[in-house]
Amino acid sequence: MTGPVRPSARVQLAAIFRKEVQQTVRDRRIMFMLVVAPLIQTVVFGFAVDFEVDRVPTLVVDADRSATSREDARRLLADGTLLSVGEESSAEAASAALDAGRASAALVFERRAEADRLSGRGQEVQVLLDGTDPNRTTVTSGAVSRFFSELGERLARERIEASGQTPPAQLRPIPRVAFNPGLATAPYMVPGIAAMLLVIVTTFTSAMGLAREREMGTLEQVLVTPIRPVHLLVGKMAPFVVIGLVVVTLLVGVGTWLFAIPIRGNLGLLLVGTLLYLLTTLGAGLLISTVSANQQQAFLGGFLFTIPAVLLSGLMTPILAMPGWLRPLTLLNPIRWYAEIMRGVLLRGAGFADLWLQFVVLLVIGVAIVAAATLRFQRRLG
Amino acid sequence: MSAPGPGAPVIEARGLTRRFGAFTAVDAVSFEVERGEIFGYLGANGAGKSTTIRMLNGLLAPTSGTARVAGHDVAADPDSVKASIGYMSQKFSLYLDLPVMENLLFFGGAYGLSGKALRVRAGELLELTGLAGQDAAITGSLPGGMRQRLALAGAILHRPEVVFLDEPTAGVDPVARRAFWRLIRQLSSGGTTVFVTTHYLDEAEYCRRIGLMVDGRLVALDSPAGLKRTWVPDRVLVARGQGLAGAAAALAGRDGVRSVQPFGAGLHLRVDPARLDEAGVARILAAAGAREVAVDRAEPSLEDVFLAVVGREARGEAAT
Repeated sequence: MTGPVRPSARVQLAAIFRKEVQQTVRDRRIMFMLVVAPLIQTVVFGFAVDFEVDRVPTLVVDADRSATSREDARRLLADGTLLSVGEESSAEAASAALDAGRASAALVFERRAEADRLSGRGQEVQVLLDGTDPNRTTVTSGAVSRFFSELGERLARERIEASGQTPPAQLRPIPRVAFNPGLATAPYMVPGIAAMLLVIVTTFTSAMGLAREREMGTLEQVLVTPIRPVHLLVGKMAPFVVIGLVVVTLLVGVGTWLFAIPIRGNLGLLLVGTLLYLLTTLGAGLLISTVSANQQQAFLGGFLFTIPAVLLSGLMTPILAMPGWLRPLTLLNPIRWYAEIMRGVLLRGAGFADLWLQFVVLLVIGVAIVAAATLRFQRRLG
Repeated sequence: MSAPGPGAPVIEARGLTRRFGAFTAVDAVSFEVERGEIFGYLGANGAGKSTTIRMLNGLLAPTSGTARVAGHDVAADPDSVKASIGYMSQKFSLYLDLPVMENLLFFGGAYGLSGKALRVRAGELLELTGLAGQDAAITGSLPGGMRQRLALAGAILHRPEVVFLDEPTAGVDPVARRAFWRLIRQLSSGGTTVFVTTHYLDEAEYCRRIGLMVDGRLVALDSPAGLKRTWVPDRVLVARGQGLAGAAAALAGRDGVRSVQPFGAGLHLRVDPARLDEAGVARILAAAGAREVAVDRAEPSLEDVFLAVVGREARGEAAT
């Protein structure tokens, strides 16, 4: 078979890479969206997303006005979880204040509180809670229960000791928290936020990029050249992989500096994981653009992919809390696997031996998505 | 398989057909294009010109029929076809946001050119297309005529055997059109085969041969002169002189006269050459009182051909 010599794929890839870099670097808005926006958002979200519940605005209704009720309220409000925002005269008034949003919790001491306690009949303290935010409600209620159960235990011991008997042995769990002893939210959330921002930014840029070429007519000019679809797609992805790796490095730097996120593992391993992750997110963008006729459709397609992918990744809510039929779906979600790699490498110092499964799964998903995009792309040539 | 010999056609279409659903855009088109030829493809919008080009350059698969371009079958070996051709689409399709030189470097790279050879070739083409010194200009800032020449430069970087130009001069001013056609003739004299669609009939005169498309069918194919002989058998005459306006009425209805129309200060006539010649016309006009009469033969235009062809097709359809 004679005929023209097949152009070298290396030369073609280099040409596509150069062209994409030129177009991206020249477009200041895209550069801002790719590099600066994720940095700013990581910082803002890093401060904003905090699961620790404290300073819950609390009202006190003290109908008893006794020494013990005053002392209980003072000590309960001193630990920081609850914050006193005033007093009300009755439980009804406190309930109205909760309805109006002036407080999220109220402690109601009945008129005979002290007398009931001293008589040994038992004392009840009513706690009104705003259940709008289940997490916050659970934590508030937990803080109140813990306070009163410890108080009850102390009263019981005092009574036993006063009667001259030896109180029973005390049982107390001593938790030792590994990796994140302060239970700070940021070291857990910031890697997740980085994974989320990366998927959004890279999926959209690749989806819109190819759709724009189709809309402008430049794609037709490229399709009459001997460039093969797979080379075109790989060449278009490559510059964004480089940008993505730089962005991840910057994000880890900012996280370490501002949020005291540890880097316990190998940063190189994290970058390899990032590379595989970007293969899946950029590939998804290309796949979206192959089913879109224009940039508008690609944009909507980007939303239809990224929002469910983020919500069903385990970043926001634990995967174990999802219904059983939904859980297997998360196995196909690249964000889930990448978040595990990030948290593993940064927080636990995990190595490849611990994370090989995550790497293999990301590679398989990435290759499958790019292959699907290539096939779909070829079909569209007519 | 060997490369086509010097005498073999460079483009060969056999019963080429493309349907989009129930609509037949191109209907069993067959033709051959010789090496180095400027082949014009004429037709109204929607006649199937662009669809034919897209089948020949591998963008669209034919529904039926075959085509060989530069010795390669377009359906079986589209990659070899793509490496042997250049293509300029109807819509300007270089990157508007990139500098001129970056566009050339990208498309050069797409065809496998690289390094110094590519830069030298790109510089050569900028020179040839009158764009020297514009290397760093942003493509989107160039005026229309320059863009078209840049698009041509991008299509011939790799010295293709065949160049397909789809309406290359649409929306470009007459001076720029003329400059563009000078380039096309230059290419053709260098041995490149040029396949060009246009709806400017004056441009079509530059083509060695012309194919005429009507509703997806190739209804005429010949040199411009041959088309005129076949489709406009009447002789076109131009009469000049004094007092023609008054004498014109004497021609109307005379045996052999097909039409008489005032044209500037003279008359434009179409006559049946078997029954009336220039001398006969001059005699009639002189007898009717015109003075200093001179009657000359004029070349029928491609517009006359086009109208004759489309008119026959329309009548043919009305009859069936």
